[in-house]
Amino acid sequence: MEEPSKFEQYVYKNASVYHYMKISLVLENGNKYITDAQFKQLIICGLKDLYGEVGASFPFDLLKFDQNKLTGILRVYNSGLVKLWSALTLLGTYQNEACAFRVMQVSPFLLALSGNSRELQFGDQLTL
Amino acid sequence: MSVFMDLNIISSNDKNRLKSIIETAAHLGYSTVAINYVVEPQQKKQEIPKPQSVSDIFDKFPIVQGKSSPIKVLNRLTIIASDKFTNVLFIYFDLVAVYPKTEKLFHAACMTFDVDIICIAVAEKQPFHFKRAPVNGAIDRGVFFETCYAAAIRDTTMRRYTIANAISLMEVCKGKNIIMSSGAERPLELRGPYDIANLGLVFSLSEGDAKAAVSTNCRAVLLHGETRATASGVVYTMKKPKTPQKQEEESPVSKKAKTELS
Repeated sequence: MEEPSKFEQYVYKNASVYHYMKISLVLENGNKYITDAQFKQLIICGLKDLYGEVGASFPFDLLKFDQNKLTGILRVYNSGLVKLWSALTLLGTYQNEACAFRVMQVSPFLLALSGNSRELQFGDQLTL
Repeated sequence: MSVFMDLNIISSNDKNRLKSIIETAAHLGYSTVAINYVVEPQQKKQEIPKPQSVSDIFDKFPIVQGKSSPIKVLNRLTIIASDKFTNVLFIYFDLVAVYPKTEKLFHAACMTFDVDIICIAVAEKQPFHFKRAPVNGAIDRGVFFETCYAAAIRDTTMRRYTIANAISLMEVCKGKNIIMSSGAERPLELRGPYDIANLGLVFSLSEGDAKAAVSTNCRAVLLHGETRATASGVVYTMKKPKTPQKQEEESPVSKKAKTELS
């Protein structure tokens, strides 16, 4: 009789201290020239409008920013995720122009943001 | 996978705008949307506008992102009730909503009106307080309360009213029978379903209730709307395709079932 194989299972409850969000800014009249500092300032303004000075001073980082597509990766502590996310949702205007933040991915692990099944594009060699 | 629905897209005469809103909704992951026709009856006998046929807008509906089926579009009627409300038949609309402006109408809408959705004020301070009795009566009947979030995106003052009214509603109904929808007039006012579920957390809903407000409860509203045309949700009539009538064979008298006791 063979011994049944043993295995151990690790379950993490709060695996990561941070949450990472991949977001993209959609403007009504096409892309404008926005630097990363302006992008972060826009998000801080949104936080300030909704949650005041206390909310706006909550630390978050803009890790990556693509100026052509206006997409970025934010990092925030777990306690500030709901506030940051709701501030992004309710942000409506940028310099008197209508805009919208589209949150593409949210994950406690940065690695999960590298692949995205929504934007997966198969190459030409799909069939064998 | 849960099915997300956005049951309030303000209708407009501009077909292209409607088209772009529905395309954005499909891109964001909503499997069903409802075009809302808002009517404010001034006199007693105002005509209810007939909704334009859904197939007029699109020849081929956009595919929902993440699924392979096209987006479903329904018609919905909202009646702004500021006076006595006459119960009219709404056969052209899949969903019926009412927006009560006074406390008496709110009470009547919760207990007696034949509606699916009761809308909560977003652009102004709630003129009356929610009482527990009519709200619980509405929950028992299967009527849902709706909050729209597009006003919160447009204007800061309306943001305060939206959040205040939503929180006071959640306190009374304890998070049950809530749906959240956009009320969007432009495609940039739409937000993704998970963003709205997160907004539910801001409105002091629990996580499960917040996600249900965009998915499960919306589906319940749809079913409630369907059963309005039936008898207590058990029997419904459907047009049967005509079949050639067969002639029944006459069975001999001796073989007929004896039903009478001799």
